[in-house]
Amino acid sequence: MGLLALGTALDWPDAQKRAQQQLLEIWNKAKRKERDAMLWGDEVEYLVVRYSKDAPSVLLSLRQADILKALAADEELSAKGGGVPDLQDVKTHNSNPLPVFHPEFGRFMLEATPGKPWGIGFKELLEVEADMKTRRKIAKEHMNSDEFPITLTTFPRLGVPGVFTDPYYPPSGPKLRSQFVPDEIANPHIRFPTLAANIRWRRGRKVQVNVPVFHDEKTPNPWKDPSVNYDLHNWPEDDDVRNGAAPDNFIHMDAMAFGMGSCCLQITFQAKNIVEGRKMYDQLSPLGPILLALTAATPIYKGFLADTDVRWNQISRAVDDRTAEELGEKPLKNSRWRIPKSRYASNSTYISTDPRLRPEYFDPNLVIDESIKAQLLEGGMDDLLATHFAHLFIRDPIVIFNEDLEQLDLTKADHFENLQSTNWQHMRFKPPPAGSDIGWRVEFRPMEIQITDFENAAFSVFMVLITRAILSFDLNFYIPIVKVDENMETAHARDAVLDKKFYFRKNPFPNRTPRSAQGSNANSPVTSRPPSPVSPVEDEYALMTVDEVINGSKSEEHDFPGLIPIVESYLDSVNVDVQTRCELSTYLDLIRKRASGELWTAAKWIRHFVAKHPAYKRDSVVDDEITKSLVSAVINIGEREQAGTGWKGLDVPDLANLLGQFRGGCGGNGVKRSSDEMN
Amino acid sequence: MTQIVLSTGNIVTAGPSIIRKPGITRSNLELTNSLRSNFLAAQQDYAGSPVSSNGNGGHVHRHGHPVNGNSRPAIDAWTATEDDGVLYVPRIDWTAAGLQENRAQYEITLKLFFLPSAPATKRTEYINEALRLVMKELRIDHIDLLIVSFPGISFEGNCEWEADKINATMGDDEEEVRTWSALESLYEQGKVSRLGIAEFGTEKLQRFIDKVKVRPAVDQINTKDCCSVPPPLTKLAKSEGIELLTHSDCTDILPSGILRELLGHGPQGAGVLADDENAQNGLKGDLIPEWVVKYTAFVNYRGVIENKGYFAGAELVQA
Repeated sequence: MGLLALGTALDWPDAQKRAQQQLLEIWNKAKRKERDAMLWGDEVEYLVVRYSKDAPSVLLSLRQADILKALAADEELSAKGGGVPDLQDVKTHNSNPLPVFHPEFGRFMLEATPGKPWGIGFKELLEVEADMKTRRKIAKEHMNSDEFPITLTTFPRLGVPGVFTDPYYPPSGPKLRSQFVPDEIANPHIRFPTLAANIRWRRGRKVQVNVPVFHDEKTPNPWKDPSVNYDLHNWPEDDDVRNGAAPDNFIHMDAMAFGMGSCCLQITFQAKNIVEGRKMYDQLSPLGPILLALTAATPIYKGFLADTDVRWNQISRAVDDRTAEELGEKPLKNSRWRIPKSRYASNSTYISTDPRLRPEYFDPNLVIDESIKAQLLEGGMDDLLATHFAHLFIRDPIVIFNEDLEQLDLTKADHFENLQSTNWQHMRFKPPPAGSDIGWRVEFRPMEIQITDFENAAFSVFMVLITRAILSFDLNFYIPIVKVDENMETAHARDAVLDKKFYFRKNPFPNRTPRSAQGSNANSPVTSRPPSPVSPVEDEYALMTVDEVINGSKSEEHDFPGLIPIVESYLDSVNVDVQTRCELSTYLDLIRKRASGELWTAAKWIRHFVAKHPAYKRDSVVDDEITKSLVSAVINIGEREQAGTGWKGLDVPDLANLLGQFRGGCGGNGVKRSSDEMN
Repeated sequence: MTQIVLSTGNIVTAGPSIIRKPGITRSNLELTNSLRSNFLAAQQDYAGSPVSSNGNGGHVHRHGHPVNGNSRPAIDAWTATEDDGVLYVPRIDWTAAGLQENRAQYEITLKLFFLPSAPATKRTEYINEALRLVMKELRIDHIDLLIVSFPGISFEGNCEWEADKINATMGDDEEEVRTWSALESLYEQGKVSRLGIAEFGTEKLQRFIDKVKVRPAVDQINTKDCCSVPPPLTKLAKSEGIELLTHSDCTDILPSGILRELLGHGPQGAGVLADDENAQNGLKGDLIPEWVVKYTAFVNYRGVIENKGYFAGAELVQA
């Protein structure tokens, strides 16, 4: 998310209407936009930690603003096209610009993106990893010597009693009213505390982020979160825990920072036109939960081992602004409708004009704003797209600035963007920004950030290649959207990547189009042949493991070919040089092995790290000492990766289970040859 | 003597034939499977009425194709002899041909396989015929990259070094250079922008470069593990500005036994060729596979494969 121009935050009277008018304007201008190139971008998010060998604990550094200022002040960086777009004019003339950095919600976070979007040249795909390493290097260079950018999804000690930030601020501030984290945990720009405060205000209580605790041998059962303070009386919201906000066996958290303070790996693709964009949106949707489970990296919250492996639901709950009526806890009186999901949640509808999109795939209970839909239809928008946006519009815009309301500017998209950017679904369909030549884009948002840039590059490149295979082979991954929801829940389970099964379409291939009946030739094909009967939707999908989805299945019921073989087949059909293919294979191998269980997810690796740590008492508690060791290991891995010297001699437990031989340091480029690996 | 042209149509959107099974590094399954499914599809599309049942209901394959040999439509219904005297299996609807975008957006690559069963002396004809068909199918007048695959050359061995050594003794240098001159003239006419060869190891490539006028821009190789290209080959390619590209085709992509099976009356066949049991039903004679061309239309700026397919040429020699 970016920074808005500084302003005075306000309530939202007719902002919906303005957003809807702007949306129609954008849509009308851009609906015929054609032939945009395949460009894409990745976003890597970092936690900034303060770590030194001698300090007893590792802390979150809250110096985001200073670090960004230092980055913006770096003349060499800006001369080469890098920098901080929110603080300066970043020159885009450079043909190979350096990366750019952005603030994030958490004041301990940093986001970095490439200096310009990536293209689809296969050699270009290999620059991603190097660019990610450069980003990390530049970020580190603008930090204090004891500060480090690390790519853990969450900080294990965020919200523990006592000191976990540097500098220290006491919790229970007026904005967040959290009993665990201080107001200063969030980016101080007015947008962020306002966002958090408005969510709380709208809900009528604090957000409730409860994660099931992992029960180890010595974890009490029932387990009561020992860090919850039931005797706090600073704010009315302090009553929440006395009213049952912190149930047994759940780690209880109460602020937006517990969710929005998570680091993700997001990929945005530009489509050639709106039709292709809508298709990509739909086809990538069912892949979301699979990639979430496969990138699982979040087993610890607030100093305790959780019984889930991923961040998703925690973010969802951390920004859940639904009222008690919308949640269905009270009969509808002031709210307009019951809303089954948070504004941060999996997608709720499909939008493609693909004829293969069957009515059965839609959620019959989708909540939409009928009046917005009617206005969009009246403005010429088609039903599917109008439905999609009318669903986004059931949410309030949450943050509106006084200055924005003075006049409606249809050449801008601020009102629409305001609403769109606070609807955090696992895919985002992004219209072209007003006044730019950027095309229709689709953002893939479910992946968790990985510890190394090698892994982050691998998942980014894999996603790029699978989109190319989807478009080339006209693949069809449709399943009912409610099954995608279910899969998203399934993906949370501990080791879901190996232990759980996901609904997935059995046959992803297009139906053959019969030869056309045109022409007067007596031998023209006839159309009298009845169309192949349409099978029930339930027959189209089956429960599959992540391994089956990724590597293919040989079950009796279906022979789903596997996403990796599909990508390999795409690569077989294009001209790619041996070196590039070799490097791309390394990425695909990582994903193949993560899916098969040959290698561990970061979540599993972290669990083992904690379990083996001498300070761990089998009671689910992840203390300062364990956290320090974990962060130290992650920093060491990062430094080895930066230096390109491989992992040999690195004293990190189970590293081979996380990374195998990848980037192990054999050979000049650090690429381990698979022939070596077999020995 | 009858010329036969087999075709797959666009296989990119035609289902699983294009998916390579994991673990198989080189095969002709893509070609044979897509020919087979295109024959079946044409038989369905050109059948005058719903496929007649012969009483036993017919066995229906899992993808819905009837495979019962007795329920096929007449051969002339789904094949066609065009004015040029060539028999097209299946018949081709040329009106459906062409690319979706501007020609400039594409990289169009052809790989032409000269088959061991065909005489080297006729290769110029094969080249012209293959190019004619692809150009007609894609409605184009020039090719970006034309790779030729000569018979009897491969890159196989227990290790890459050994494979490179064995490779040096394979093929027929003189024939290859002679064939190349026909390709050079296409290059000089501007019909082909870049020429390439397949499976040339270090020594063979060096000898080839020394003899030809227009150097290959591409050498397509298949190694079991694409990360272990023999270093001398990498070095030579680099110094000569030749791109080493990957592929996963076998060199003898259409052996006559397989072609006969594809067109015969067996359970997997299209029922075009007569055999002892079906003496009155189909073409008689020896079938000689001559060449295969694979074409790929890749939309450069989007990384999308829009069209990929094969034509195969064969000659039916009456006994």
